[in-house]
Order: sequence, then C-alpha cells, then structure tokens
Amino acid sequence: MPSLTIDQIPVEVPDGTTILDAAHKAGIMVPTLCYLENVQAIGACRVCVVEVEGAKTLIASCVAPAANGMKVQTNSRRVREARRMVVEMLLSDHDGDCQTCDRSENCELQSLARELGIRQVTYAGDKSRKIVDSSTPALKRDTSKCVLCRRCITVCNEIQGVGALQPQYRGFKTVVGPAFCSELKDVVCVQCGQCGAVCPVGAITEREDIDEVWAALDDPKKHVVVQTAPAIRAALGECFGYPPGTLVTGKMVSALRRLGFDAVFDTNFAADLTIMEEGTELLTRLKQALVEKKPVALPMFTSCSPGWIKYLEHFYPEMLPNLSTCKSPQQMFGALAKTYYAQKIGRKAEEITVVSVMPCTAKKFEARRPEMDGSGVRDVDVVLTTRELGRMIRQAGIDFASLPDGKMDSPLGVSSGAADIFANTGGVMEAALRTAYEIATGRPLPFENLHVKPIEGLEGVKAASFQITGALPAWSFLEGVTLSVAVAHGLSNARKVIERIKSGEGAYHFVEIMTCPGGCIGGGGQPRLTTNAVRKARIAAIYKEDEGKKLRKSHENPEVQQIYREFLGAPLSEKSHHLLHTEYTARAKV
Amino acid sequence: MKSVRSHILVCTGAGCVASGALEIKSALEESLRQHGLAEEVRVIGTGCLGPCAVGPVAVVHPDGVFYQGIKPEDAGVIVSEHLLKGRVVERLVYKDAVKGRSVPALQDIGFFRKQVKNILRNCGVIDPLKIEEYIANDGYQALSKALTAMKPEEVIDLVKRSGLRGRGGAGFPTGLKWELTRKSAGTTKFVLCNGDEGDPGAFMDRSILEGDPHSVIEGMAIAGYAIGSSQGYAYIRAEYPLAVERFGKALVQAREYGLLGKNILGTSFEFDVEIRMGSGAFVCGEETALMTSIEGKRGEPRPRPPFPAVKGLWGKPSLLNNVETYSNVPLILTKGVAWYTAIGSAKSKGTKVFALAGKVNNTGLVEVPIGTPLGEIIYDIGGGIPGGKKFKAAQMGGPSGGCIPKEHLNVPVDYETLTELGAIMGSGGLIVMDEDSCMVDVARFFLDFVQDESCGKCVPCRIGTKRMLEIVNRICEGKGQESDIERLIDLGGKIKDTALCGLGQTAPNPVLSTIRHFRDEYVAHIRDKRCPAGVCPALVRAPCQNACPAAVDVPGFVSLIGEKRYSEALGLHRERNPFASVCARVCFHTCEDKCRRSTLDDALSIRGLKRYLVEQEVTIQLPEIRDDEKNAKRKIAIVGAGPAGLSCAYFLARMGYRPNVFEAEQRPGGMLVQTIPAYRLPREELAREVRMIERLGVDIQTGVRLGKDFSLTSLRNEGYEAVFLGVGAPQGTNLGVPGEELEGVTDAIGFLREYNIRGSAHVGRKVAVVGGGNAAVDAARTAIRLGAESATILYRRSRDEMPAYAEEIDEAEHEGVVLKVLAAPVEILGKDGHVAGVKCSAMVLGDFDRSGRRRPIEMSSGEFVEEADQVIVAIGQAVDADSLRNGVDLKLTRSKFIEINPVNGQTSVPWIFAGGDAATGPSSVAEAVGSGESAAVGMDEMLTGAKHAFWRVERDVGTAFDPEADPVQYPRAQMQLIPVARRRQNFSEVEQPFGPQDALREAKRCLRCDYRAKE
Repeated sequence: MPSLTIDQIPVEVPDGTTILDAAHKAGIMVPTLCYLENVQAIGACRVCVVEVEGAKTLIASCVAPAANGMKVQTNSRRVREARRMVVEMLLSDHDGDCQTCDRSENCELQSLARELGIRQVTYAGDKSRKIVDSSTPALKRDTSKCVLCRRCITVCNEIQGVGALQPQYRGFKTVVGPAFCSELKDVVCVQCGQCGAVCPVGAITEREDIDEVWAALDDPKKHVVVQTAPAIRAALGECFGYPPGTLVTGKMVSALRRLGFDAVFDTNFAADLTIMEEGTELLTRLKQALVEKKPVALPMFTSCSPGWIKYLEHFYPEMLPNLSTCKSPQQMFGALAKTYYAQKIGRKAEEITVVSVMPCTAKKFEARRPEMDGSGVRDVDVVLTTRELGRMIRQAGIDFASLPDGKMDSPLGVSSGAADIFANTGGVMEAALRTAYEIATGRPLPFENLHVKPIEGLEGVKAASFQITGALPAWSFLEGVTLSVAVAHGLSNARKVIERIKSGEGAYHFVEIMTCPGGCIGGGGQPRLTTNAVRKARIAAIYKEDEGKKLRKSHENPEVQQIYREFLGAPLSEKSHHLLHTEYTARAKV
Repeated sequence: MKSVRSHILVCTGAGCVASGALEIKSALEESLRQHGLAEEVRVIGTGCLGPCAVGPVAVVHPDGVFYQGIKPEDAGVIVSEHLLKGRVVERLVYKDAVKGRSVPALQDIGFFRKQVKNILRNCGVIDPLKIEEYIANDGYQALSKALTAMKPEEVIDLVKRSGLRGRGGAGFPTGLKWELTRKSAGTTKFVLCNGDEGDPGAFMDRSILEGDPHSVIEGMAIAGYAIGSSQGYAYIRAEYPLAVERFGKALVQAREYGLLGKNILGTSFEFDVEIRMGSGAFVCGEETALMTSIEGKRGEPRPRPPFPAVKGLWGKPSLLNNVETYSNVPLILTKGVAWYTAIGSAKSKGTKVFALAGKVNNTGLVEVPIGTPLGEIIYDIGGGIPGGKKFKAAQMGGPSGGCIPKEHLNVPVDYETLTELGAIMGSGGLIVMDEDSCMVDVARFFLDFVQDESCGKCVPCRIGTKRMLEIVNRICEGKGQESDIERLIDLGGKIKDTALCGLGQTAPNPVLSTIRHFRDEYVAHIRDKRCPAGVCPALVRAPCQNACPAAVDVPGFVSLIGEKRYSEALGLHRERNPFASVCARVCFHTCEDKCRRSTLDDALSIRGLKRYLVEQEVTIQLPEIRDDEKNAKRKIAIVGAGPAGLSCAYFLARMGYRPNVFEAEQRPGGMLVQTIPAYRLPREELAREVRMIERLGVDIQTGVRLGKDFSLTSLRNEGYEAVFLGVGAPQGTNLGVPGEELEGVTDAIGFLREYNIRGSAHVGRKVAVVGGGNAAVDAARTAIRLGAESATILYRRSRDEMPAYAEEIDEAEHEGVVLKVLAAPVEILGKDGHVAGVKCSAMVLGDFDRSGRRRPIEMSSGEFVEEADQVIVAIGQAVDADSLRNGVDLKLTRSKFIEINPVNGQTSVPWIFAGGDAATGPSSVAEAVGSGESAAVGMDEMLTGAKHAFWRVERDVGTAFDPEADPVQYPRAQMQLIPVARRRQNFSEVEQPFGPQDALREAKRCLRCDYRAKE
C-alpha cells in the first residue's frame, strides 16, 4: 500500500494504482485526453502530466504507478504550462471548425482548451492531412479533426479484436486509418462504431442520415413509420441532459410523433418475434442433433448484432452455419412493416418508408445488405443512431423535457419485457430461455425474477448450464439434457468463445454474442461517453423496464400471437423463412 | 600449420566492400598466384580498420604498411613491388594532410597512433568469418571463465566494479542494469542487443558486428549467464545486410563449437541468440520501441515504468544493451577490473568508439579512452580541419545531441561533460563543422531528421518538433521574428519536459544547443537577415557577396569584367564600397575564403580581378546622388576620416546630405594612411578615392582632434543633429612585462604612424617586433625598408595561428624578416636605459583554450634572449574612449569599444553613431566600410523616419551566363610581385596587376552562384 502526497494531500492507495487514480482518490481531477478508463492508458497525449519530486521530466499520471513516499504536484506552474503547450499544439494542428462540428460542446479537446484557459493559439503552421473517408454506410472519418489519441485504435484492436485501424506513417504525417490508408469499406471493419463512440473529438462519427428522414417526412406520398430499438429508451435522455439510466420511453414516443412519423412502432415487437423464430430454430437444431442424430451446426449463435455477423463473415467464415438464420429484429420489423402492416393499412410496400432508430452504426450497414429485401423493396430505408435522433429532436425545436408520455402504435408496438432486455449483454439469451424453457417444460424459467444470474453483468465471457427436467411430451427428447449456454460481448471476447468452441474446451448449445461491450446499450451510436458506469446505469434501467411490465415473455405477446395467426402461420413457416430469415457471405480477412 | 611470410589484411567492412575491397582481395590473390607467392603470402579479409573515407584499405604485415584508396589494378604493383621486391608503393600510402608528406607505417599515422583499440581490438586484425581466429585471440575465454569459475553474482559484481556504462547513449551503469534484471521476478528473461544504429553517420556497431561478431555473442552469453536467461535477441537493422550475414554466420559457428545452445562448454548453461531485423526506424533504437518492434508491432515506445528490467520483451524481464557495450564485457572478464578501470575518466571507464565525420581531414571510426579532450580527437587523430578553415563546432550524439563550440575543445569527452554542454555521448557520432557551416541550418537538418523519425505517438514530439522546425525554417528563410529565439527555447524546454520517450525528450537538443552556443547566428538571420556562414539559400545570393562585410556584388562586377564592361563594374562596386582601389590592394577578401570555386580547384582571385579593374579606370566616375534640399541643410558631423567615417560620409552624401568630417591627423585616411605601408597601398590611390568622396559634397577638415579642439557636447551645441564616431582604435596596448619603459620600446601603431605621416621614423639596427598580427608584419617589413639590419617577429603561438594574412607573412620572410614563433617575451632587457634585447620563453602548444586554439605554455628549459636595440610592440589596439566621450554617457563594450547596434550603428546615445575599429575593435577595411554604410542608413532613418538606401536594391547586371556549360578549366591566376631585391630601401608597390588576358580568363572562372533560373 504505497502512501504518497499529491498536492500536499496524503493518500494511501493499493499497489499498482496509477498516480491519476491516486489523485482522484485525493479529490484532485487531473485532465486527460488519450486515457480512457477500462479502454486505454498509454501515456500518449501528455495532457495528464504531473510533477514528481526527483523526476527528471514530467510524468504521465495515467500510466505511472504511485510509489511510496512520492511527492506529486498536479498544479504547479511547470505542469500548467506544459499542459497548455500540449493542448495548444493539438489545437494548432486541428481543423478547428467547431461551428459545424457535430461534437461542438461535447468535444473533449474543446473542453480541455477551455479548462486550461487557452485563449489563443499562438503557433501556426502546417496542419495534418485531411482524409475524409465516408466509404461505409456507417461511419465517417475525418483525419483533420483527429488528435491521434488512439482510443479508436485500442478499441478496434484490443476490445473488438478487429484491427481495422492503425497508426499510418510517422512523425507529423501520422494519421489513424486502415493499413496503407485504404478506405474502411475495403478492410475488415465491422462498422460497429466503437471507434466513434470513444473518439474525444469529431474525427470518427456515424454517417449522418437525418436529411434523408426529413426528406421522407416532407414527402406527402410517403407513409413513414419508425421503429426504436430496445436500447434507445435507456440512453436518449442523455442527449437532453438526463443522467445515464433514465428511461424516457414515453417522451421518446411523443417526440417521434411530433417529428411527423405516421406510426411509431417498436423494434421490441420484432425482438419478441425473433425469440419465437430463433427459439424454435434452436429447438429444431437440438432435436436434429439429439434425436435425428443429424450433423447440425451447434452451438447456435445469435444473429441480432450486425457487427458480429460481419466479424464472423471475415474471421470465421467456416462458423457461418452456426449462426441463426434469423434476421435481426430491425430487419424482421422492416420486412413485416412493408408486408403485413402495409396490407393492413392498404398501402404498397413502395409507399412506406421504414426508419429505425438504433444504438448501432452497424445497423446502417445491415439495412443496406443486398439480401435485406424480403418485402420486395429495401426492408429498412434509413437508420438513425440514438445521437442522430437526439439531434433531430433538437432541430425540430422540441422541448424534450416537457413532453408528455406517449404510447406505441399498433399492431407492431406491443412488446414483452423479454424484448427490452435484448438491449444488454445476456438479454437475448435470457429472453430465449424464458420462452424455450417454458415451452419445453410448461413451467417458467426457474430463476428469481426470471433473471439468469450467471449471464448477467459486464464480465466479458459468461456461461451457464442447467438440466431440463419434467419436459412436456412434445419435447421429451430434452428430458435430462443439460443445456449449456455462453454469452460474450465485445468481439475480442467473442473470439475467445469461438476459440474455446473450436478447441473443444467449450461445448455449448446456444451462444449469444453482442458486438459492443455491454451489448446494445453500449452501442456505437449511443450518446458519448459510454463508460462502464454508464453501461451499468443503462442496463439497470432496461431491467427496470422489463420488470415493470406484466408481459415478460415473448411468446405471451398478444400482437406476436396475432401476427402468427393472421399472417405468418407458425415460426419457421415458409412465409417467415422468406421474410424473417437470411443467409450469410464469407468475406476476406483483409 | 604452414608458416607464411607475409599477410595482407584487406579491410572488408561494408564501406570498403562498397568501394571494391572484394575485387581487390581476389586481384591480390590472383597476382600472388601469378608470382608464385600464393604459399608465402596470405590475403585475409578483416573487419573495419576505421578510415573508411580513404578505402578500400589494406595493411601488409609484418611491415605494417598501410595502403589506401586501392584499386583492383593496384594489386599487381603491390605484389610485384612490395611483396616481391620489398619496396613500399609510395603512391598508395597515407599522406599527412597538414604536412603533406607520406606516412607508410600504420603505427606512424596520427589517426591510428593516438587511438586505443580495445573494443575494435579484432577489427581489421582477424577474419570475422572464422571463429578460430577469434578464439586464437583469447576469444570465448571470458565466457569459459564465467561459466566455470564464477557465480552469476560475481560476474555482475565484476561488471559493476568495472564502471562500464551503456554505450548506446545514456550511459546507464551496465552492471546495475544486469543486477536489476537478475533480481526481477520471473523465470523467463531475455538478453537483447541493440544493433539498430540509426544516427546519421554513426556506424561503430555495424563495424563491430561485421568485424568482430563473436565479441558481441560472447558478451551476450555472459550476460545471459549473469541474469539467468537462455534466450537472446540481436536487433539489427535491415540496412546492414553484411552485419546480419556475418553475425548470422558467427551464430552458426558458435553453435557448432558448443558455445551457444544447450550445455555450453559442458556446463548446464543454455543460451542462444536469434537475429531480429529492424526496418530502419530511428525510434526503434529506443529500448521500449525496440522491444515493441521485436514483438512484431509497430515500433513505438511505451511508457516507463515498468522498465525493461522488470517488464520488457513480451512482458518478461529483459536486459537491453547495445553492441558496443556487449563487446566490452569479454575484455573486463579476461583482463580484469584493474586493467579496465585504468583507462578512461573518473566517472566513465574504458574506451569509446566515435564515428568521426564532417570537416576533418581523417574521417572514420576512432576509439579513444573516455575523457580524451575533444580537440585531441579532432586535431591529433582527425588531423584538423581541411583547407585551413576554422573549426566551428562538433556535433555530438546524433540528431538528439548537441553542438560543442570551439570554446570547449579542451573538454574531456565523457557523459557528464557533454550533457553539461548540451550535447550527449549518444552512440558516438562526431560531426566536425567548420566556419562554412551555418549553425541554424545544422539545427534545422537534425530537427528535420527527428521530426521525420518521430513515431507520432506523443503530442510534444509529433507536433511540437514540427512547430519548432517551422520556426527554424522561417528563420533560415529570413522570415524570423524577434521573439523566435525565446519561443524556440520555451517550446524546446517544454518538449524535453513532456515527451514520452528519449527521442522526444532530446529532439529539441540540436536547436537548444546551437542557440546556447551560437545565438549570434540566429540573431544575424532574424534581425540582419544574414546567414554569416553563407549557407541559407534565401539569405545568400552568392557566398562571396554574403561574406563581404560591405556586401559588394562580387559576381556582378566579376562578370562585368569578363565582358570588359569596366566602368559598369567599378560603378557596381562603388554602389556598396567607395574604396575599390584601396580594397583592391589591402582587402582581406573573405569573399575568396567562401568562394565555391575552391571546392573545384582554387578560389577565384577576386581581389586580383578588382586590382585589374581599378587599373582600367582613367577618370574617376561619381556614383548616383539623389539631391535633397532638406537633407542638405541638416548638420551631420563625422569624427575620423578613416574608411568607416569616409564611407559613412559617402553614403550620406549620396542621399543628399552634406556631412562635415573632422580628422585629427594632417591627412585623411585613418589607418589606411597612418599604418598601412605604401608598398601595399600607394598614397595616390587612397587620395583619389578620398577626393572622389569630397566631390560628392563632403567637407573634410584635418588637424582637429576630438577631446582637444572640440567635443561631442560642443558639436551638439553647434546644431549637429547626428554624429558618427569613426575614430579607430589607434592606441597600442602594453605587454605588461618589466622593461617596457626603456628607451627604444615603441608600439607598432605609433611607429608606423610616425613614418607614414611624418615621412621619417627612427629605426634600430636590430629590431624585434612582438606580436603576430598585420601591424607586426607591417612594422617589421617597414623596419627592413627603413634600413634595419634585421627584423625579428616574436610570436607566442605557432605560425598557423598568426592573425596576419598568410601572404603578408610569406612576403615578410622573403624580404628577410625572421619569424620566431612559440616565443613569449617575459622581459625587455636594457643597458644604460636603452633596450638591449628581449628575454623570451620558449613555448609549446598545450591544450585548447576558449578561442579554440592551442594554449601556448612555457617550456621549463627554454629561455633565450633576442638581441635588439628597438622593440616594437604590436599586440593589440585600443580606443581611448574616456577622452572622446567626455560628458556624454556613451556605453562601452566589455573590451572597452563603443557599443553599437550592428544593424544601424546607433550607440546608446541616440544621436551618436559609431563604426569601424572604434566599435568593432581592430578589424578590416571592408568591415569599416560596411559599418559606415549601416550608420549612414541608420542616421538617415533616424532623421527622416524612412530608409532611403537605394543602392541596396539587388540589380541584374545583364551579363551572359550559360548554366549548362561546364566550368572553365583555367587554374587560379597569380598576381606578380616585384623582386625582393627591388623592395629594399623603398616603398614601391610590391604587387603587380594581371594583364588583360589573365584577368578575363580569371573572371570566367566564376561559377556564378548568384545565378537563379528565371521563372
């Protein structure tokens, strides 16, 4: 337990604590830029430098361990001037077009400059090369705004294990980008947007599609419907100053109505539908394996997360048969809105515009996948992120805080609590188990409050297994079977699970993978910054939404039951195959 | 084993291989076969001998004869002459650059003689591809001793006690590093060798890897044993293919001999080494970046702590030393701590290899004890500066090092001293720079290098060094601002304080150290828009013009002479300097010193051309004058009708002023008339140019002395708005030895003035002149002409260091003046109150003083008496400032000259300006002209608030030049001198002008550096 003084304040911290954390413990805020808790501590930007007595140079507090007897100054003249120099250098190399930057007022560089009292940039000179890459539907990169903090690189390489971004060139010419400065569309990028989620400035953002939505809303010939993903309601409030974890479902519905959408629906409805389809697919695969002894791909992987799907297509194409053939809820919704719903309101698919609000940038990519046209046209027309919706609401001059609570429209607006928890890691698995277990045994899932404790939380890889007893006659082949499931979030964790499966170390039946750490609540399109504390708060809100509903199992959703009755027939029917299932494409590794 | 009569050691280091060593080796072998000597003489390819610039080189043993610059076709003559007949091939042996004589024996060559080759002990001696030769030279004895007779702790203790410090740059104690790594927890540890030598010009590690790879392998294996590691990695740059190849082969041999692998030398110790090639990123020399690179990632540093000793390669404790450091280790074990610590300085033991490069006669690898004075490395080993140029600075420690100026030639080269002076030892790069190097440009070069090589990870290095580079660039382009120097210091200091790794923390060093030692050069670029060394293209039209203190358009007038447009040429000269005829005779021609033609053959004879030019003048033409009624009415006084005062008057007159010149002596001209003898400058020539100035409306009053007939205050009271002080430095200075009061002791200025102004001066029979400057030479030559039987110049340093112009010294000797150098007067002896002789101490040159010259020190037994009945003291000049500034608070410099702003000549009193010797101390005519001109412009600006120096505009003289044509091949023309016999007893001009043919040819030799392609 080193004990040291920071600005004369004595502190005692556990071994291995950084000076930065020790300072926090002493109630001192040291400014940082490249540092990001649980993501990266590389001492690159030098904003967090402090003066340590006896040290030759200033020390980056985010990486330097606190040592016994250390005397640290965080606010000496030497430190202040050094920090100002560093930030001034960054500003001298920065595009600086704050007025038109989407990060203005939410920009870490801007805040730093303000906090350090920089009133003028006294150094002029060359600026870094401006490379704008908007080659993918999901993301836009602008190197002239980049501060080379490398958070994106660390997230992409270490947390996602994708490695699409690297530093390119050296010295002042250094830029962040794919190898050889290729475009993102030509590399393994899964378009998860985690890079943009951690970007402190406006260098990586989602590709903004707000104007397309306005155009549809302005078009009197269009019937514009909107669907909102489960994770939106727990995060949208942050765009308007609410603390993380504030549920704003009702206000969100009202805001969407005011924006002029003809119908406000819920992706959650499609999530319940996914459970029906995916659950049935799992049971079918199990039956094929256990009873018919057919060579069937197990474990089955969930397929809701488009980043994960693209990841598998690039890195493990041989595992593609393990992916559930179910489309994601977003795409199921789109296909049904332009068929089932279109019929109901007597419009043609072409006349309907489906807008989705997603916590996810990869959803923009998913909506443009060529196979996503089950309805005969694009199933989903425009995808907005949570952040874009927030901006759109501001553009419309809507005072979000004073909005009344609204209700989703029918027939695609009702959902169960099981659909809500699609938003977080472990949620799809739990939702599936709630339904599958009950269908197989006639009894509810034997966990307190229906929550499968072992697969909850932010642990990277989680696993659970339980034995099925008292199976109903139709499912007798499951009697006594120990069902093993695994849950992973963050693609490097997904890789771990896959490697475990490939090595035979992990024998699972069903595996849930979410691309982003924490699941969709931590998606690349969510309000910044998503720290672990924010993730926890959002997850808690989601569970609250789930628990607050009477309807908590997908198969109990009356509108789901209705659609099977009226339109689809049964899960895995021919119609649902056509509209709700898909296939995958192997992609190159580079 | 067969015995052989001779060995020919052919250097096969990469440098010599590149210049054909392998072909030479086979040619030698072939020739030996043809002569039937193949059995008697063996040819051996060795590692680098050091003097790469003169490669390919070879040594014939046992005679120890060193051949250089060998070509394959020389093999035959070496064999037939040297090996068959025993005659040294004179043409191929080393030539002493200073003395010009041949030095055949290796041990007689200064470059080798002064070195102590410990680390390079085997380089150039053994065949690096044969482990047997290494073993035969005590190789692997140290490893054997460590494994069989020592505990790992004992090995570490030995290395600690040896005082060995890291040769990679920072000088961290090696033994301590070993101990820390040994003590680190963990069973897997690595021994890493840094062979990523990246400093421009440094190649000592490459030479060791190529020439003695086993010494590195042995050092690494010992380190492995000491720290408890079984795996080593040698990180060698991919640009060193020969080093990689030889080191790789050495590894194979070591494994074959059981010196690597399992159970080494029959013990349980296991160790092996793998090569990892680095692809040439400078930053990969930084230890954490090197490890990151070995791990297969982009070579970038990571924060420390954790230090490599705790968490290094792949997170395991790792020991990283560089090639040279490992190469020291076997020596310490075999020869012992006492032997090792006997070499070196108090805090740094052993030897260090330097890569000597740049403006030095002998370049290459040199090994010296740590603590050897820098001057010794440059002069004794390096053989001094080529072309008689002055040493300016040594850049040490590579791009992140710094520059050591001449003031510190005497410092011992060790870690602490270099750091104190703002440089670093680094890996041992030592680049010598002479007066032609612009220190701002040098800083720019190195900064550009580090900026390019920055990994881009941390902000201070990535952007900060870029901003520094941008500032330095704009300074070099003449766009610097007054605040730039402070800005560079501030930014540089902060970058050092905040950057992530050693590269960034030292990146500002080249700038900071040049600012520290050469601030005046920065100031010249920023304030005067001048590059004193004549390097920065934006500020230098042509190096000759840049070097001229009066900024005369040299290429302009030279090319006009080439087209016989003499009157235009003279007019152009007088645009900037009225004293064309004077300067044609007495100018010290810095223009010629900087002439780029000298890199081809010899400098252009610019003064000779000027002399020819003024001979063509029939009637003197007046320059352009811009009449100005207002200016004509203003009263301006110029005190002193020397070159500075008259130039000031000349330029003022051209702007329409009518200045009054007051001269204390009876004749105008100042030093030109008072001290420069007529045999150098005929009186009529000076008078013509003075008359020209008078004709511009300048009134010269002679015989009126400041301080006696008038004062600065009285001038002010009479309504003078501005005063220029060009009073010279006419006071002689004393020797400060006993006997100076004796009759017959006089100062040179007084002696010369007396003769030149009054027409006669007393001269003794035996004259002794004390001093080494032009005044001393003039006095001696005048004394001879006035009938002295003998004239002896006594000078306390060596002839090379005499400040007088070399050609003047030569002519003095021709005329019979005796030169006694290294003689310092200690007493003037008298007889009956009259001088009888000078008692002198014989001196030797010792270490270097702050002027960068060797300090003369007294020899214990070397006093002698120079008999003389007249002693002329010429050791310095001074200005009697007190009498002239009477009542006015004029600031003086530390040397008691008048302090001025060099840009406009203004003194601390705004209406008083000054220039010439009175301000600068004794200097040249051209300097005086330049300072007079600056003051004229400064006065005008003060009086009118604007600059009217219309002559400063650069003009195109419209002479023909074909940039595609090859330079003409004529040698430099020489001016004829009248025979010595005709010089005695008279003051006829000694130098005779060129004839027209010589002059026109000479003019065509100009390379026209002023030429710029028209856009």
